[in-house]
Amino acid sequence: MKKKQFNLSSIMQSKITWAVVAELLILLVCFIIRPDFFSIKYQPATGMLYGSLIDILNRSAEITIIAMGMTLVIALAGTDLSVGSLVALSGALALKFLRWDVLVYNTPGDYTVKPFILVILVPLAVCTLLGLFNGFMISRIGMQPIIATLILMVCGRGLAQIVTNGKQFTTLYSPFRVIGQGSFLFLPMPIIITIVVVAAVSLFVRKTAFGTMVESVGINPSASRLSGIDSKRIIMICFALTAFLSGIAGLIMASRVMSNDSNNFGINFEMDAILAVVIGGTNMAGGKFSLAGTVIGSIIIRTIVTFVYYFGIVSEATMAFKALIIILVIVLQSEPVRQRMSKVGKKKVKGGAVHA
Amino acid sequence: MLIEGPVKTMKKILALAIVLVMIASLSVAAYADDVKVAFSQIGQESDWRTANTDSIKGTIEAHDGWTLIYDDAQQKQENQIKALRNFITQGVDYILFTGVVETGWDEVLAEVNEAEIPLILIDRMPDCADKIDYVAAFGGDFVEEGRRQVAWAGEYLKSIGRGDEEVAVAIMEGTTGSGAQVGRTEGNLAALKEYPNMKLVAQQSGNFTRTEGQAVMEAWLKSVDKIDVLIVQNDDMGLGAIDAIKAAGLVPGKDIIIVGCDSVKAAFEAIVAGEMNATIECTPLYGPFVEKTIEDLEAGKTFEKTILHPEEGVYDCVGGIDLGTVTSVLAADVIDSRVY
Repeated sequence: MKKKQFNLSSIMQSKITWAVVAELLILLVCFIIRPDFFSIKYQPATGMLYGSLIDILNRSAEITIIAMGMTLVIALAGTDLSVGSLVALSGALALKFLRWDVLVYNTPGDYTVKPFILVILVPLAVCTLLGLFNGFMISRIGMQPIIATLILMVCGRGLAQIVTNGKQFTTLYSPFRVIGQGSFLFLPMPIIITIVVVAAVSLFVRKTAFGTMVESVGINPSASRLSGIDSKRIIMICFALTAFLSGIAGLIMASRVMSNDSNNFGINFEMDAILAVVIGGTNMAGGKFSLAGTVIGSIIIRTIVTFVYYFGIVSEATMAFKALIIILVIVLQSEPVRQRMSKVGKKKVKGGAVHA
Repeated sequence: MLIEGPVKTMKKILALAIVLVMIASLSVAAYADDVKVAFSQIGQESDWRTANTDSIKGTIEAHDGWTLIYDDAQQKQENQIKALRNFITQGVDYILFTGVVETGWDEVLAEVNEAEIPLILIDRMPDCADKIDYVAAFGGDFVEEGRRQVAWAGEYLKSIGRGDEEVAVAIMEGTTGSGAQVGRTEGNLAALKEYPNMKLVAQQSGNFTRTEGQAVMEAWLKSVDKIDVLIVQNDDMGLGAIDAIKAAGLVPGKDIIIVGCDSVKAAFEAIVAGEMNATIECTPLYGPFVEKTIEDLEAGKTFEKTILHPEEGVYDCVGGIDLGTVTSVLAADVIDSRVY
């Protein structure tokens, strides 16, 4: 039997530990200001649990889901800037099929629901194809990931505009509402979808050799190729997966407000997803990655946003406030701080082992 | 090189041909007694903007003897500056201009002045408007819109017998720093002083989007003890907030009175469905104004250097609420005639 030795020093050095500490600190501040921040009630009107902590998990769903793919892409020493645009495109495609101005709102209009499954499948398929295009440009053409995905970042939103003719559609089609506003086991559906996605990606990368191959390609693509890893295929799969997950996030987002918004859906999502990955302890230079850390990173980002809304930070100060918290989190995780803190865990510091 | 000769000759012939074509087209343009109206639009950012473009384009194109030179700047200032310089080179008769940002227009608009092309400012005013010459200016009155939002809520409360009751008001602002947010907030806060029974309990930006409107409302419903009136600085945020209110087990439009702004079609639908209470109009239909102004200018009339505002309505769930400058209209009566 494997038996992990309890090692305080290595725990203190782990970036995830510090991400968790940061999250707990923010929550502690919330608790001090308003103890009822933590109250969770059952809401009979919706059949769901109702509380700020539920909101945080619920609203972090989009970024968590996208960041699962982004973690792998960053572990490959790449980055994917197109995720936000794909979110907008996915939402636009879904609403394109859903134009359903029901009589409830007295506006008889386009009545063009196709088989509902298409509403889900088409956006996901289109996003996956565009992800494969990203992967193709990077692995076969040899473009820099940041450039290749920048192309789609810029034109993806344009595609979304074309799909809906620059318009914002609203739908009332109830099966579609389930994705973003439905519930399962008293939890909002986005949380359930997130759990499923995180579990699926974790199993895929950790129970197969895929995760190790990703890390290997991220550290040294040439050496990986020489040792028989098809790095091009790994890159294709990671970018396609990220795009596919962006498509899911787009569907959730569209379902939450039952409409599309090609201008605003997914704005800055690439930045939030990258930030979630970095806070979670994955190095931008590629190599080792941590999916659990990414989940915590995403939750931290959403906790900050909820904090701002909940405690009514004046809107002019919102951006500065967010930046301040994120700087604190990153500093808390930085090498010098962790080194220093790890000494607290060590019984005795060996002479000469002190780093600057 | 051997082929240099022929290539040079080719180039010369080509250049000559181009010059000839240009002269020809110039002379055609000179003979046709057209009024050339150039329009530099920001780009397509929202349904409001689309309706704005369609209105102006449609009016000018349909007018006898007028031709439109349209430029879509795709939200970029440099594109607009380029377009304005192109308009000068082409020697247009009028320039319609709305700037994507407020600052940085001094130089190019001074060039327009030097070229003595009449400049008509629409919608967003550049910050250098005092320093340059323009023949007419036309745009929404954001401060008045903000005032009307609060005044509507105050008068509506009076009409249902809650005029003396202390009510909690939440203001959801637009994108921080945008002209609409600054103006509407100013109007909101000023009008709140007129209604001492209305107390401001929360104020936050929802960035003009449905998604953020929903998230902000969701947090407020937990952090603020009671909200009676929700002022949203555009309709989209209100539409998002409606879902959050329902998720909290409350009835939008009844438990919480919602007053929006812009008057988009979806807001009318929500008002008719009883989930929203009122929307203050911010019309994008500038076409008729532009047409009349240019006709007047052609006839030799001049305008003062002041910003004119469009006539805008207030649409709500009851109708007949008197706001001093305007009386509200029942949304259900006009919903079918709304074009955007």
